[in-house]
Amino acid sequence: MIEKVISGNDAVALAVKLSRVKVTGIYPITPQTYIIESLSEMKDKGELETEIIRVESEHSAMAATFGAAASGVRAYTATASQGLLYMHEMVWWVAGSRIPVVMTVGTRAVGPPWNIWNEHTDFMSERDSGWIMAFASTPQEAMDLTIIAFRVTEDERVFLPMMVGMDGFILSHTKTRVYVPSQEEVDSFLPPRRQPYVLDPEDPLAMGNMFQPADYMRLRESIHRAQLASKEVIVEAGKQYMKKVVPIGSYSTLNESYRLEDAEYAVVTMGAWSLDAMQAVDELRNEGLKVGVYRVRFIRPWPEEEVVKALDGKRVLVLDRSVSFGRGGQLYTEVRASLPNAEVKGVITGLGGVSIGKNEIKTVIRKFVERPEGVEWFYPKEGEKVELRSPRYIK
Amino acid sequence: MSLGVRDILNKHRLLSGTSACPGCPENIAMRLISTALGENAVFVVVAGCSSVIQGMGPNSAYNYPVLNIAFAAGPAAASGIAAAMRSRGKDVKAVVWAGDGGTADIGMASLSGAAERNEDILYICVDNEAYMNTGGQRSGSTPIGASTTTTPMGKRHNKKNIPFIMMAHHVPYVATASVGYPHDLMEKVKKAKAIRGFSYVQVLCPDPYGWMFDPSKTAEVAKLAVQTCYWPLFEYENGRLRIADECLHCLDKRTRKPVKEFLKVQGRFKHADEEKVRELQEYIDEMWDRLKLLYEEKLKF
Repeated sequence: MIEKVISGNDAVALAVKLSRVKVTGIYPITPQTYIIESLSEMKDKGELETEIIRVESEHSAMAATFGAAASGVRAYTATASQGLLYMHEMVWWVAGSRIPVVMTVGTRAVGPPWNIWNEHTDFMSERDSGWIMAFASTPQEAMDLTIIAFRVTEDERVFLPMMVGMDGFILSHTKTRVYVPSQEEVDSFLPPRRQPYVLDPEDPLAMGNMFQPADYMRLRESIHRAQLASKEVIVEAGKQYMKKVVPIGSYSTLNESYRLEDAEYAVVTMGAWSLDAMQAVDELRNEGLKVGVYRVRFIRPWPEEEVVKALDGKRVLVLDRSVSFGRGGQLYTEVRASLPNAEVKGVITGLGGVSIGKNEIKTVIRKFVERPEGVEWFYPKEGEKVELRSPRYIK
Repeated sequence: MSLGVRDILNKHRLLSGTSACPGCPENIAMRLISTALGENAVFVVVAGCSSVIQGMGPNSAYNYPVLNIAFAAGPAAASGIAAAMRSRGKDVKAVVWAGDGGTADIGMASLSGAAERNEDILYICVDNEAYMNTGGQRSGSTPIGASTTTTPMGKRHNKKNIPFIMMAHHVPYVATASVGYPHDLMEKVKKAKAIRGFSYVQVLCPDPYGWMFDPSKTAEVAKLAVQTCYWPLFEYENGRLRIADECLHCLDKRTRKPVKEFLKVQGRFKHADEEKVRELQEYIDEMWDRLKLLYEEKLKF
């Protein structure tokens, strides 16, 4: 293990290399582009044994990655925003086929209007696809979770693909200290590729042909059961990772609790701003407010037991960097469903790169203490929303 | 090595119990092509009749590995398979099997991308000239004048000439074939399999239901398409065009049979007026003018 100052994109590219990925289908889209450029550079320098297929669209990127994975090798791709939406059909295809694949999503707003900055709506739109979905809060975690993802997806109790979310620009482009494991350390953690079936002329089988309704439904149930079973596998893998690869992090649970034991109020977050929330909580604690943070790392499988244990009996504020129109924040909806008797408030903010840091989160928490219910939209600058004067702006 | 009737019947590449309609040209093509490919092939079957013909999962009437996949994904998935097989040190040909809809319309971008990258895959387009699996709607490959369920009075635009588009991609091998000429088809597939790089074979598959003729006449109609010069049989390899003996007479306009003879054996052209028939004949004549220039090596793609 060595210490390096690198970006989230660099960290993920190194994780792909260290995981001995054999094939990647690549297509550029902001802000994940640097991952695939970095892989291409490593390949041209002869440092990478991966075959790179430079396809013509994200739909094809996932199709090529899937074709390779179905043929029995470790396969990876990365995408974001419009690209993930264009890829959507193949995202479902991979999970429905129970074929392990790992993907990074450098989260970004979805147009129109065009916006390249961070939000989580693209990532959250895949919640029902059958993929295991983790979200990093630091470049270190983006790397760790990528390596852990290969082990989890290839476990026979799981055999499902996994995507790792990473806040666009905030994590993807920001350079920070990352502990990079050695090849030997990763090799000691990742067993050889395993999958339920392989395309092979010596063993002819048909994958994905027509099924009778009840058989189809049974396969759907098996995906759901594998998702539930993956909780145990993720924790097992996390503990092993901390033991054999990088001895830091908090991977012995699916999600992370921060100063929650004695807290009266809990703030639920996901992604990079969780660290801002933790700082905000520290400062509010100094002012006498008993508040803690619950950081969601796994949105699928949803860690119901952990959520209930951590949050039950507290007043809960959920910060969403995404929106389900006509309903509210997705994270809010999930937490609300797990805590039917608790007071839960949802705040949607930070969409399309609206800047939210420690001070803004403190403001949101103070407002929440005053009125701990409902769903609100928070703009950090007073009047920001009425200053919009686009000809297409509809009130 | 040549493949005879005995091989086709004895190799059991296509098991009994397929869900194909009577007289299905894709079933014929599948039997011939899978026999010609022999071992060491993996099929990527793009959405269409052939996704259904293999029968209900978990069983399959195709006696070789098949990856069924969504419409626009075939060539990209095959690229992934080819890369993975190379990585595993296996000599396996990834074969994309798509209809004309999956090829000319929804799958065009991924087909073009794989061709540009010269992926080591074989792409087979089974061209029945409409979206037959969804009940016979027009496709980019439907000829002018042909009625479909979305062009009931006949299509107003010409057929998209995919073999020409593929030749313009400078891939190592482009060929056309017809289920009416099994040996020609199988030889071309064998040749394509041996090529390292991208090869494309488009097979005319007259559909008894969509084209409205008796299911016992599939092979006859497929032959007539070639004899009347509606459907050329050619190979384009290393910049040289070879035309099958069966349609050499089409190179000369004077010996070309009028397309009318081909149209009258099927029901889909019953609304086609004189003008539409003339426009279709012009399309065919223009195609042969270009093929003649390629044949005489006065033109190269």
